[in-house]
Amino acid sequence: MAENVLKRLKEAVLNYDVEGAVAVAKEVIETGFDPLIAIEQGLGEGLSIVGAKFEAEEIFLPELMIAAQAMKESLATLEPALAKGKSRKVLGKVIIGTVEGDIHDIGKSIVATMLTVNGFEVHDLGCDTPTSKFVEKAKEVKPDIIGMSALLTTTMVKMAEVINALKKVGLRGQVKVIVGGAPVSAAWAEEIEADAYAEDAMACVDVAKKLLSK
Amino acid sequence: MTLREEVERSGRIKILFFPYGKREWFKKGVCIFDAAKALGIDLSSLCGGKGTCGKCKVKIEKGMKGLNSLTEQELKHITEEEIEAGYRLACQTMPTTTVSVYVPERSRIGKQRLQTAGLEVLVEQLNPFVRKYPVKLPEPTLHDSRSDEDRLLDALNAKYNLPTELDLNFEVAVDLANKLRDADWTVTAVKWKNKIIDIEPSDTSDRCFGFAVDVGTTKLAGFLMDLNTGKVVAVAARMNPQIPLGEEVMSRISHQMLEGQKGVEELQAAVVSGINEMIEECCEKSNVKTSEIYEICCVGNTAMQLCFLGIYGRYVAFAPYPPVLRRGVDIRASSIGLVSHPRANAYYAPVIGGFVGADNVAVILATRMLDSDEICLALDIGTNTEIDLGNKDLVMVDSCASGPAFEGMQIKHGMRAATGAIERVSIDPETFEVNYRTIEEKPPVGLCGSALVDVPAELLKAGLIDLTGKFVSEMAKETDRLRRGLKGIPEFVLVPQPETATDTDITITQGDIRELQKAKAAMRTGAEILMKRLGEKRKETVTESDISKLFMAGAFGNYIDPENARTIGMYPELPLERVEFVGNIAGTGARMCLISKEEREYAEKIATTVKYHELAADEDFQKEYLDALFFPHKNLDRYPDTANLLRRLGRIK
Repeated sequence: MAENVLKRLKEAVLNYDVEGAVAVAKEVIETGFDPLIAIEQGLGEGLSIVGAKFEAEEIFLPELMIAAQAMKESLATLEPALAKGKSRKVLGKVIIGTVEGDIHDIGKSIVATMLTVNGFEVHDLGCDTPTSKFVEKAKEVKPDIIGMSALLTTTMVKMAEVINALKKVGLRGQVKVIVGGAPVSAAWAEEIEADAYAEDAMACVDVAKKLLSK
Repeated sequence: MTLREEVERSGRIKILFFPYGKREWFKKGVCIFDAAKALGIDLSSLCGGKGTCGKCKVKIEKGMKGLNSLTEQELKHITEEEIEAGYRLACQTMPTTTVSVYVPERSRIGKQRLQTAGLEVLVEQLNPFVRKYPVKLPEPTLHDSRSDEDRLLDALNAKYNLPTELDLNFEVAVDLANKLRDADWTVTAVKWKNKIIDIEPSDTSDRCFGFAVDVGTTKLAGFLMDLNTGKVVAVAARMNPQIPLGEEVMSRISHQMLEGQKGVEELQAAVVSGINEMIEECCEKSNVKTSEIYEICCVGNTAMQLCFLGIYGRYVAFAPYPPVLRRGVDIRASSIGLVSHPRANAYYAPVIGGFVGADNVAVILATRMLDSDEICLALDIGTNTEIDLGNKDLVMVDSCASGPAFEGMQIKHGMRAATGAIERVSIDPETFEVNYRTIEEKPPVGLCGSALVDVPAELLKAGLIDLTGKFVSEMAKETDRLRRGLKGIPEFVLVPQPETATDTDITITQGDIRELQKAKAAMRTGAEILMKRLGEKRKETVTESDISKLFMAGAFGNYIDPENARTIGMYPELPLERVEFVGNIAGTGARMCLISKEEREYAEKIATTVKYHELAADEDFQKEYLDALFFPHKNLDRYPDTANLLRRLGRIK
C-alpha cells in the first residue's frame, strides 16, 4: 500500500494530473500514511524528474507549470497534517519577486516554479513589489535567499535599492541575493553587490544550490 | 595550461559575436570580417573588406591584447573616443587569441530590407493645414492708405473669403513692407491653421510640401508629400540614429535617466539628425527646397514621442507607465533643429498610453476600425506587439512583449531580412526534403522572420514536432536531417552546409522552437485577453466568428504566410480571406494626418476613446499564455480547420 501511494503520487505529477495528485494526497491523510514520506518520496521524486526533463528540453513551460501546480495543491492537503515540529525537508527558503515599477511576472514565476520543483520553499511576492515588502517578508520568513527579477533597464535600479534596504535593517549578512531578468547581467550583480546573477530558471537552481553549500 | 590556452597554442582561436551569441573556432590570423561572414552575420561593408569604407566598425569587448595594432586605414575612420572604447574595423583586425566582438547596430544595417510601403492613404478629402493663397494687392494711394497688413488681409478675404482676423506672424510682419513692394504687390500668403507664416514673392502656390515621418524605435521612414495633390513625392528610410544610445525603448529612457538633460538632448539630436537626412535626401531626389516644406507630421510610440520632443521620460518607465502628454503636440520645427521652412510646424500625433503610442493610433486611423460595424482585430507585430480589437462601439488595445525572435534574434541561425536570408520554407511531409527561397535568390545565410513562421508550421505538418513543440525523436529513423546537436539537443537541418553561404549547416534547434513558441504565445494571449475583456464590456462573448477582419501590420507583416501563421497559432483561427496585410501602417497614419485636418482631428478622437488594457496585470494572463504555447493552441476546438488539416496528415487522431 505504502509504495502504491508513493508511486501514484509520483505518476500523477509525471502525468501532469493535478486532480489525480490531490486525490492521492487526500487518500494519504485518510489512511494515516506519513505525509512527510508522501511529500518527499512521492511528490518530490516526481518533481525532480520533471525538472530534469525541462532542463533537457524534453518538456516545456506548460508541463512544468502544471506539474508545479500539482505539487502546490497536494502540499496544501498534506502539509497541515504534518506532525508538530516536523516539516518537509527543504533545500532552503527563498523569497522571490519582480521589483517595483515592473509588472513582468511570468519569467519570475518560472524561476519560482523551478526552485519549488527542485526542493526549495518559495515565497513568491509577485510583481511590482515595493522594496519595503521585500524587507518585511525577509523579517518574517527569514529566508536563505532573496531572488529579484527586473525586465526593464529602468527598473533594474530597484534591485540596488532592495539590497541597501536589507543592509539598513541588518539583514544583508543573513541572506544571499540572486538577481536576474533580460537586462540584468553578472556585471550588474557585481555592481550592486548581489551575491549572484542567474541567466535563467535552470541556472538559478544551480546558483541557489551553490550559494547555500558555501 | 588551461584548455583554452592549449587550443590557442595549436593555432585555433575562438571568436564570439554579440549580440548574436554566435561563436566559432577559427584559424589564428583570420580577420574578424571574414569570420563574421562565415557565420552569416550581417556586418555592413561597402568596400568588401578593404578598409576604405569604415562601415564595419565593431567593438572588441574581450581579448584586446591579442590584436594587431591599429592600421592606417583604421585611424582614418575611427575617432579617438572610439579607440578608447575598443572600436576596430572588422576587416583590419586579426586576433591571435580568443576575442569577444560586439557588432553595434549601426554596423549591422547591411542591405536590410527597410519596409516603407504601407496601406494607401484613404483620406476622404485632401485638406492640409498648410495652404497657399496667391493674391495681387492694389497699390496704396492717397485715397487708400490702409496698412500693408490690412491690405493683405482684405485681399485674401476678398479673393478667398479668409477671415480678416488671421494672425500675421510677427517675423513675417517685420519684413512685410519690403516683401510686398519687392514683389510688385503679387505675393503668395502661406497659411498654417489661422496664421500667416510667410509671404512669398509672386505665385508659388504650386510649390507646397510637407514631410511625414514614421519614427520607429529601430527604423525611420520619411515621406515627402505634395500638399496640393496629397501624393507621395519621394521616400527615404534610415536606421534610427538613437540606436547606439540604447537598442530598445527602455534603454533609451535609461539613457535619459543616466545622463540627465544631456541624455535627453542627445536622443533628440539623434532622431532629428536622422529625419533631417531623410528630408534632404527626398528633397534632392525631387528638386524640392527644404524651405518648401511647411509642415512635418510624426507618428511613433510614446518613448519616441518623449525623445523627439526632448521630454524627460523617467516616469513612463515605471509601473503603471503613465505617458507625460497624451494629445498631439505642435512645435516649431526649427526650434528642435528640423530642416524645413523656418516657421514650419512639427506635429507629433497623440498617444494612447505609456506602451501604446501614436503608431497604434495610426493603425486604428488607417484601418478604420473605429468606424466599422463589425468587430476587427489588428496586430502590429514587432518586439512589442500591439493588438487592437473592437468596432465603432469600443476599441480596446493591449501591448505584449513578444520579443525579437521573429526578427531573427535569439534564434541560432536567425537574421534580419537582408540579402541571402531564407524567407520561405516548405518541407515535404513524405520525403522531408526542404524547399526554400532566399532574398535576392542568393545562397542562404540564415532565417528571417517570415521563414521562422514557416518552419514550425512545416515541421508540425510533417510530424517532426508535436503539438507541444517537441521534436519527435522517433522521426530520426525517417530522416537524418533530424539529429542531435550541441549537448544532445535535437535540431533539424534545413540547409546542409555545401548549399549555404556560411561554413555551417543552417538548422532549427529545439531551443529556437521554444523561443518562437514564446513569441507567438504572447501575441495570441494578447488577442485572447482582449476577446474576453471586450466581451465583458459588450456583455456578449466575442468569438472568432465575430471577428470580421484581421489586419496584420508591422515590418515583416507583408512577407509572412497567413496560413502558416495561423497553423502555429499566432492569431485566432479565422478564415484566411479575412486576413489583410497592411504593412507599415504608422507611415500611412503619418501621411494621413499630414494631408488632412479631418484625419488629424480623428486621430485625436481615437487617442481619447480607445481603451488601453494592461495585459501583464490581467489575472488570466498566465493561464492563457500557457495554453497559447501549444501549436496551434492547447484547446484544439479553437482551431477546427487547423486540427482537420493535422488530422488529414495523420498528425493527430
